[in-house]
Amino acid sequence: MDLSQPAIKVQGLVKRYKKTTALDGLGFQVPSGAITGFLGPNGAGKTTTFRSLLGLTRIDSGQIELLGREIPGGLVEVTKKVGAIIEEPGLIRALSGRINLQVAADQLGFGHERIGELLEFVELQGDAGRKVDEYSKGMRQRLSLAAALIGDPELLLLDEPLDGLDPAGQRAFRARLRDIADGGQTVVISSHDLADVEALADYVIVLDHGKLVTEGPLEAMLSSPATRVVATDLTAAAAILAAAGIATRVDGVALIVDEVDGSRIIELLSVAGIYPSEVSPERSSLESVFLGMTGESAS
Amino acid sequence: MSLLHAEYLKLSRRRLYLVMVVILAALVGLNAFFFLIFPQIAPELAGEELPLFEKPEAYLLGAQQVAGQTWFPLILAVVMLGSEFGSTVWATALTRDSRRIPQITARFVILTAASWLAVMLGIAGWAVVTVLAAPGEGGPDAGDWLGLLWKVALIELAWTAIGLGAVAMLRSVGPAIGAALALLFVDPLLGLWGPYENVSLSAASGALFEVTFGGGFGAFVPGAGLSIGHAVVIMLGWTALGFFLTLWGLQRRDA
Repeated sequence: MDLSQPAIKVQGLVKRYKKTTALDGLGFQVPSGAITGFLGPNGAGKTTTFRSLLGLTRIDSGQIELLGREIPGGLVEVTKKVGAIIEEPGLIRALSGRINLQVAADQLGFGHERIGELLEFVELQGDAGRKVDEYSKGMRQRLSLAAALIGDPELLLLDEPLDGLDPAGQRAFRARLRDIADGGQTVVISSHDLADVEALADYVIVLDHGKLVTEGPLEAMLSSPATRVVATDLTAAAAILAAAGIATRVDGVALIVDEVDGSRIIELLSVAGIYPSEVSPERSSLESVFLGMTGESAS
Repeated sequence: MSLLHAEYLKLSRRRLYLVMVVILAALVGLNAFFFLIFPQIAPELAGEELPLFEKPEAYLLGAQQVAGQTWFPLILAVVMLGSEFGSTVWATALTRDSRRIPQITARFVILTAASWLAVMLGIAGWAVVTVLAAPGEGGPDAGDWLGLLWKVALIELAWTAIGLGAVAMLRSVGPAIGAALALLFVDPLLGLWGPYENVSLSAASGALFEVTFGGGFGAFVPGAGLSIGHAVVIMLGWTALGFFLTLWGLQRRDA
């Protein structure tokens, strides 16, 4: 993950549709060589941002830098270095999987030599001759991924790519994305499914109402300055820690302690004859972080 | 070249083109029957209003009839581009501002060529029926046959551009076909009105072929008063308008 030369740099992005402001001064950076999760509730501006990055929507103001080139001026240079899936898979259903990839390659000016390799990568080599109309949604998503990868892009922008896939399809798709990122390519994946992003992303950008809420490495976002303690007598443990000036709260069968030094907690409790069965760093879920930041209520 | 190949793949691997060619062949066959065969086998039923095409004029009159099947380029253009609007093929193929003119030009070239080929095959079919069934002697000279190549191309160019423009502006296949077919039907009628004849596609088509029909039928074919140069300008004007509307419509779509 390299933020010294971000793959995408956006500042003060504004996009209005008549009376609606879709993007309201949005700014963020996407690190190179990592998977970035682009999170936000419906209507947050995720798709508008992707369309703006690709030059499919004209922005009203702001600056976009994609792979070191200003957009839209540098689109000619970066077009071949970016693969994308926007909303639905962009395939021609009347044509076979293989012909769809040939068309994608031709449209971007690439050769057909990678098609066999990509069909194998997305595990569609046995179905390449079938019409896309006969494919399942998961197969279409994988074929779209192959189409987006046709030019071996440096940057992959995927808008809700896991939407509608069954768990097995999601797992297979995630594995492909991890392989891509491990190969040094930058992947940006937008989703409203927090579990998808938590399972996949290295870096997270959260937006709401067209504005940036937060951005940063996933691990840092999920880590919390607290420790989870499990013991037989939580009330007594809480009292001992409170006497040492450490705040606590009960969370089910555990005590969440406002102290990151686990050895100190163990020392204080063991002196009082309480031996905890678990002392571990408290870790938030992305869902709790996201809901706390966007003010959304869990449903 | 790769953009042209992409458009060729998209067209050639679909049934649409083949089905349209079959329909065109059926219509050409019907026209040939009514203008070449029916007046001979049932002259009393045909009457004076339905002219009998005789050699040598029958070849070019028939060619004009086939070239007049302008629904072919129109529907082909609307469906081929419109079906891409229906999905996100347009976006995912990274057809951005910077590549829009080359992308549209590639579609334009392939669809025009495909329509031209279908119509030329239709004209060839008509010519075969004329050889076998039409009364009279002789035929057009080589210059007339060669002239058909560019005249038909000009017509296909204009109607392909109008089809692309209609679907780019209306963003949906159904309304675009409706609007384009409305023009197809209204244009020959308006072409009978002097001022509009100067910009009428139907009048320009008639003038390009320099043919006149006998009997009462001829009164309903506009373009007799236009020069070939004027007809070419009309065709190129509509082509430019269609191309402009296509680009403008796409700009609006992605704004």
